[in-house]
Amino acid sequence: MTRPISRRAALAGLGLAAASAGCLGRTENIAGRNPPSQLTLEINTTPADDDPNGIRIARQLEEHLTAVGVDVRLNTVGQTDLWRKVLINQNFDLYVGQFVETEPFDADALYGLTHSKFVAESGWQNPYGLTEIAVDDALERQRRVSGDERTDAIGSLQETLCELQPFSVVAFPDALTAVREHRFEGWTEDRQPLSATGLLELDAVADGSDDGGSGTDGSGTNDTGTGGSTDGNASTEDAAGGDDGTLRLVTTDDRITENWNPIAAEYRKYGTFTGLLYDPLVRADGDAVVPWLAADWERVDDDVLEVSLRDARWHDGEPVTATDVAFTYRFLRDTSLGSVETSVPTPRFRGRSSLVDDERVLDESTVRLTVPDVNETVAARALQVPILPKHVWSERTGAATIAGFELDFETTEAIVSNNPDPVGSGPLRFVEAEAGESVVFERNPDHFLVRPAADGESADSDETTDPRAGVPSRYRGKPAFDRLRIEVLPSDISAVESVSDGLADATVSNLGPASVPLIGRSADARLVSGRSAAFYHVGYNVRRSPLSNPRFRSVVARLIDKSALVDDAFDGYARAAASPLAASPNAVPDSVAWDGDTDPTHPFFADEGSLDVEAARAALRDIGYRFDDEGRLLSRGQ
Amino acid sequence: MTPFLSVLTSVVAWVAAMLTVASLAVVGPARLRAAWGGVRARLWDSRRAIAVLCTVLLASAVGRSWLLDVSRLFGVQATALIYKLEGGFVAWVQATFAGPALTAYFSWVYVYGYAFLLAFPVVAYLALPRTVTLRRLFVAYALNYGIGLALYTLIFAHGPRNVMPEMVTPLLFANQPDVMALTSEVNVNSNVFPSLHTSLAVSVGTFAVLTREEYPRWTPVGVTLSLSVVVATMYLGIHWLTDVIAGFALAFGSVYLAHRFVEPRGEGLSPGDDAGERPGSGTGADD
Repeated sequence: MTRPISRRAALAGLGLAAASAGCLGRTENIAGRNPPSQLTLEINTTPADDDPNGIRIARQLEEHLTAVGVDVRLNTVGQTDLWRKVLINQNFDLYVGQFVETEPFDADALYGLTHSKFVAESGWQNPYGLTEIAVDDALERQRRVSGDERTDAIGSLQETLCELQPFSVVAFPDALTAVREHRFEGWTEDRQPLSATGLLELDAVADGSDDGGSGTDGSGTNDTGTGGSTDGNASTEDAAGGDDGTLRLVTTDDRITENWNPIAAEYRKYGTFTGLLYDPLVRADGDAVVPWLAADWERVDDDVLEVSLRDARWHDGEPVTATDVAFTYRFLRDTSLGSVETSVPTPRFRGRSSLVDDERVLDESTVRLTVPDVNETVAARALQVPILPKHVWSERTGAATIAGFELDFETTEAIVSNNPDPVGSGPLRFVEAEAGESVVFERNPDHFLVRPAADGESADSDETTDPRAGVPSRYRGKPAFDRLRIEVLPSDISAVESVSDGLADATVSNLGPASVPLIGRSADARLVSGRSAAFYHVGYNVRRSPLSNPRFRSVVARLIDKSALVDDAFDGYARAAASPLAASPNAVPDSVAWDGDTDPTHPFFADEGSLDVEAARAALRDIGYRFDDEGRLLSRGQ
Repeated sequence: MTPFLSVLTSVVAWVAAMLTVASLAVVGPARLRAAWGGVRARLWDSRRAIAVLCTVLLASAVGRSWLLDVSRLFGVQATALIYKLEGGFVAWVQATFAGPALTAYFSWVYVYGYAFLLAFPVVAYLALPRTVTLRRLFVAYALNYGIGLALYTLIFAHGPRNVMPEMVTPLLFANQPDVMALTSEVNVNSNVFPSLHTSLAVSVGTFAVLTREEYPRWTPVGVTLSLSVVVATMYLGIHWLTDVIAGFALAFGSVYLAHRFVEPRGEGLSPGDDAGERPGSGTGADD
C-alpha cells in the first residue's frame, strides 16, 4: 500500500483535475476515507526517584511494543499525578503501578477493582473500565457462596481475569526495607515490614541499663505471643525518656506530609499511616480478623450484622458512637449525603463499603448494618473501612469549590480536602507537618490498646471489662514508640544512607535492588524484607481502542517478560505471577499458577532470551491487525 | 539536615579556596589592591543589575514550589517527547566514557567547580575599572534564571536517570549521596528542561571568551570548566542532550540580551569615584 504522503496537498491538486474529468463521485469516495495511521500508546509510570521498579517494567514494555511497531510514549509523572491521571481522570492508555494492599488480601478485593457497576465512578473502583458479565457474575458469586464452592468461584474468577487481562500482573515484590535495630525490634520478615500492623508489632529495645524491660514479646516471628504479657507498655516506659521514644522513618513519598485524607485515592499508597490515624471496626491480621473499634460483632440474621463498639474517643475528645459508624457507611456510599445531584461515592474502600446497604443505630454503642446475602469472610470485609467522625466530615459534604466558585467537578469537599489536623480514633494522632519535608505523629494515650485493663469503664461489653478484649497480645500496649517521625528524602539511596548513618530507624518507601549492597556495607543497618501483596501490574484503559480488545491486551501481556524483569529489574527480589491473588494463601488454581519460568496463560514471546518480534507480529496479524511496509502497526479510529 | 550542612560547608570552603587562588593568579595582586578602593562605587553603579538578579532569585526561592505545582498540573509533559527524540544518547555517553577517575572529576565539577565558576566572574569583573561587564553578567544570570524558571514551569520532564535507571546510573548520587541533600534543596527532579547548569556555565564561558583581553588567563580555564559542567550534566545522568542544547541556546540568548540591555556608560569609572553615575544617564540594567 502506498502511503498518502501529503493527502491534503495531493487532493487539492487532484481534486480539480478529477472534477473536470467528471468523476467527482469516485474522488469523494477516496477522499472521504481516513487513512490508517500508526498505533500510538502512552505508558505512564513514576520516575525512578519515586519508585525504582515500576519504570523498569515500563521500559521493557516500551522496548517490546516499539519492536512490534507501536509508537510508544513513555511518560513519567509523580505518584500523585499518576493516580490522578489513572484513577480520577481515567485519561491514560497504559500505566505501570502497584496495587494498594500490602498484606495478602481476600479475593473480594477484586470486586471493587473490576466490577462493571463502578464503571462510571472514579477512584480505585474499576479504573480500567472493564465491563464483562462473566467477571461480574464471578464477583457476585464469590460474595454469596462459601466453602469449596467459594474456592471454585474464586478460581474461575481468576481464570476469567487472566483471560481478559484488564491488567497484567507482573510480579509480587519483596518489600525491601533498611532498618536499624538499636532502638526498635520485631520487624516482620514474612510480610511487608512497614504496614499498619507491622508498625504496631514493633517493640522498643530496652536500654542496657535496665534489664527488666527486655521481656518484650518476640512478635517479630509472628507467633501469637501467648506468653508475652510482660507487656509492651513496660518497655515503652523505659524508652520514653527524651527523644528515645521516637521512631524515625524515611521515605521518598512526600504525600503523607501534606494530605491525611483516608479516602483521597491519589494521595494514598497503601494507606499505612492513615490506617493508624483511623480505626476500622475490625482489622485483618494474617488469616484472622481481629475486633478493633468493634468490641464484638455478630450476625443477627442472614442480612444483618450487629456491631457493638468499644469505649473510644476521637482525638479531639469527642466520644466515638454508633452514629459515627452509621454516618461513615452512608458517607462512603455518597460523600455528598444527597446534597449533590448524583451521588459522589468514595474513591477508596468502594468495594467494601458497597457491601453495606443500610445502617441503623440501636444505641450509643450498637449499630446494625444490613449486609445482604454474603458469606462470613466477605461480611467481615465490610467492617474494614476507616470509621470517620461525623462532626468533622458532615461539614465536608458540599460540592467542592475553588475560591467560592462551584465548578462541575462532580466531587465533594470531603474528597478533595487535605484533611488538615486529622481527627481519628486510631492509635496514632497527628502532631505537626511541614509539607514536602516531614510529618510527626504521636501515640494516642487514650487508645484502647494502651488503656490499662480493668478500669471498668466499658459499658456495654457483656463478656468482659477488658478494654482490649479480643486483641492479640502483640498489639497490646502498642505502639511501642511515643512519636513517629517521617522524613522525606530525595531517593532510595539517600534513604538507605540515612538509616546507615543512624539518622533514621527504617525506610518506608520502595528500595531498588541497587540499594541492597549499600545496606550490606553498613555496620548498623540490616535488610529486612517480606513479600508484599502489592503486586506490580500493567493496567489497560479498556475504554480505549485497541485496548478495548481482550485479544489485543493478550498480545500486549505476552510482550512482558516477567521472568527477565524479576531477574534483572528486581534482582530476584520479587516473584513473577499471573494471578492478582498469588500472595493470598491457597487462592490460586493450578490453571493460573506460575510454574517455573513461563506464564501459565500469557507466555512471553521468547526467542533465546529476547523478544521474538516475528511471533508477536504474527499473533497480531492473526487477530486482525495490520502493518504497513515499514512494519508499523496500523490502527483505525484511535 | 546534617548531610546538607556538611555539604554546604565543604562547598563554601572549596569555593573560597578556589576564589583566592584564582583571584591571585588571574586578576593579580596588584590589580586586586588597586580595585579594592572602588568596590563600593562599582557595586553602587551596578545596583540596578544586582537588584534585577536579586529579584529573580527571590522570586525563584519564594515561588518555586507554587510554580512546581502549576507545572505538574498544567505543564507540557515532555519526558516522552525528549526520550523519543534522543533515546539512549546519555546512556551511550555513560557506557562509553564512564570510569572512576572521570566520575570523580565530573562529580567534583558538577558541584564545586560549578559553584566556583559562577562566583569567580563576579570577583573578576568587579575588579575591572568599568562596570559594564559586571552589570551584563548579573543581567545574564538573571535572564538565565528567569527564563529557565519559566521554562521549568511550562515543561514538566524527568531526567534520564529517572527514565532509564538500568542504563543510566545516577553516578553523582551513587558516589556522593550527601550531595543529593544539597541538590534536592535547590532543585527538583522534574526540572530538567533546560539545563540551568549548562546555561549558566556556558554564559560564564561566553563571558570568559568576551573578556579575553582583560583576563587572558581566565579564558581557557573558564571555557574548560564550563564545558566540563556541560558534559557532567549528561555524564552523571542528570540531563538529556536536549536539555543541554536548550541550555546552550538559553545561555547565548541571555548573553546577547544582556549586551542589548546593558550599554557601556559614556566614560570609564575611575576607582574611588564615589559619586558614580546617576541613574538615567545610561540605559541602566533594567529590562
